[in-house]
Amino acid sequence: MPVPSQTVSDLRSLLAARFPERTRKSHGGVPASVRPVDEALGGGLPAGRLTEIVSSVPSGGGQTVVASLLAATQAARQRIALVDGSDAFAPDAVPADMLRHLVWVRCRTPEQAFAVADILVRDGNYAVVVLDLRGCAERALRRTPASLWYRLQRAAEGGSVAVLVQTQSPLVPAVPARLVLDRALSLAEAAAERDDVAGRIGVRMERSPAQGIEERLAG
Amino acid sequence: MNYAVLVVPDFALHALRRSDPSLCGRAVALVAGEGRKARVTQASPEAHSVAPGLAATLAMSRCPGIILRPRDPAAEVEAHRLLIAAAFTLCPRVESTAPGCCTVDLRGADVPRTEALMRLRVAEFAGAGLPLRVGAGATPLLASYAARCAEPVLVVSDTPGFLAPLPLAFAEPARGQEEILQGWGIVTLGGLTALPKAEVGRRLGTDGALLWERAAGEATRVLRHVEPARSFAAEWTYEPPVESTEPLFFKLRRYAERIALELRGAGFVAEKLSLTLLLEDETDHRREFRLPEPGADVDGWLRVLNSHLEGVRTDARVAGVRLVAAPARPPEKQEGLFDTGLRDPSSFWENIARIAAIVGDDRVGTPACADTHRPDAFIMGRPAEAVAPALQAPVHPEYGPTLRRFRPPWPVRVACDGSSPARLEGGRLEGEVRAALGPWVSSGGWWRPEAWAAETWQVELAAGGLYQLARTADGWCVEGMLD
Repeated sequence: MPVPSQTVSDLRSLLAARFPERTRKSHGGVPASVRPVDEALGGGLPAGRLTEIVSSVPSGGGQTVVASLLAATQAARQRIALVDGSDAFAPDAVPADMLRHLVWVRCRTPEQAFAVADILVRDGNYAVVVLDLRGCAERALRRTPASLWYRLQRAAEGGSVAVLVQTQSPLVPAVPARLVLDRALSLAEAAAERDDVAGRIGVRMERSPAQGIEERLAG
Repeated sequence: MNYAVLVVPDFALHALRRSDPSLCGRAVALVAGEGRKARVTQASPEAHSVAPGLAATLAMSRCPGIILRPRDPAAEVEAHRLLIAAAFTLCPRVESTAPGCCTVDLRGADVPRTEALMRLRVAEFAGAGLPLRVGAGATPLLASYAARCAEPVLVVSDTPGFLAPLPLAFAEPARGQEEILQGWGIVTLGGLTALPKAEVGRRLGTDGALLWERAAGEATRVLRHVEPARSFAAEWTYEPPVESTEPLFFKLRRYAERIALELRGAGFVAEKLSLTLLLEDETDHRREFRLPEPGADVDGWLRVLNSHLEGVRTDARVAGVRLVAAPARPPEKQEGLFDTGLRDPSSFWENIARIAAIVGDDRVGTPACADTHRPDAFIMGRPAEAVAPALQAPVHPEYGPTLRRFRPPWPVRVACDGSSPARLEGGRLEGEVRAALGPWVSSGGWWRPEAWAAETWQVELAAGGLYQLARTADGWCVEGMLD
């Protein structure tokens, strides 16, 4: 009969293997420099996890989140990758200085975007990988097997990269955190400084990191 | 250590096995002749009880399941080129002595470094399916004796001690000489060289003296040097043509190994790879891959090539492949002391290359705005090795939501109220305009044929959403969404 301390140790090992989310030390987060987003996520995009931002309305501020992330990572001298599923990023819409640490991948299809994201998440040289699937054909995205998302999540868990997935409708199964941008910006905000615009983005937390973990434990 | 000999035992058999993945780990024998006269010439270790000289029919009965094949000259040529490429990484003075055998003139070479390189090449060849043996000694003959005894590398420093126990057959005596020497009780090289050379010459003649020299490893000769490779390319065919990628992957690795060795031997790395699939319908599929980080790492090349091949669809079967590497000098660089560099540079550049193979060379990189005010004008550059600090705060802060472009812009009809857009019609975007800002007028390149001019508006639709419109000579279009 094993001694009690050994039993406890075995139990801990079993739990660590079964529920790595609970036991793994967090690598910290990457602040997005968008106050509503950082507040909702408790400080920024969590490293080693996927975060989904759903732009449920046009002009919800999703691209401003990307621009703010560029500025935040530049200030922290970190590298960021943008996997652009519909080739929509506009380099002339952000200051030139904010582009020098960016690796931009202009994909033609969602399949290309997933293949590229899988490579970048495993790379180890990026602090943030943004997978922007807005503008991609909805039918093609719905056909994406769930296993592909789980594979991406597993890849992210192994490293210290924060993965931000931008979508138009909820897409990522069992995502740890999902934010919905549900307030369209108005033309009055076109005259405001971009930092102020970022602060006015309407964010609703649809799925919190804690909720995501609870669901995975239950599963 | 003046000379080295690189030799692959049972070369024809191993060259064949290296070129055909189906023979890996199987009992294989090479046969010469046809029908009842077919005889085994070389047999793999898996072919138990089968030895050279055995009739093919007898080999099949002794070893059921044995695969009998004739020699494959193309595979032997390729394997021999790989061997020569390996020899050139040791020293530029190389002789192609025989199929599966090279002699290298190492005089003046750094001994410890050369020996380390020999062991490295042996390990690489083992991975490539060729059991390489390397022997080194004071003369080409002595090096060849050492190569025959090597397991897998043997550097002879004590020549008399090495030669003494070797059988007399190493010196290749004539039949008559062998009988005479056996009659004297001499069966080893050491036994022969223990006799005075002049006395042996007096009794066995000039041939006897030459035999004594061979037994002493003293016989030397002038090497006939081969030219190093001037182009770094490979081309092979498939008969019958192939439909899947597995055969491509296998042979790509084999040929890439040789090209990479040739590059290394010449002091180059590859900066660009060109892959051409020759199709059965006499068309071809060609693609060039510019390696972000020039190198001669076969695994890195293959990850790039395989990433591309996995997505390739051709109209006809692949009948042949051509792979060409563009050589370049190895990059030399020194980072700034305080730069935030890459955690894993090799993986970074390799992954950039893999991504380029998926999306295209021109669609991955770091963007920079072009030196013009023309909308959506940018250039894609090579990502920086280090993330430098921001230069300075911009003089004017950015205003408003960030533009998200539609590429190409969406054509639209715009009904105006005065000069201001009032309604969008007839395109992918329709609806009443609630508010509009503009126009911002810009133009450029008027001194060139591609002169441009645009009038830009920002509009908010009544149904929600901010969009950027542009009016050009071609009409109105929606450039993107302000998001």
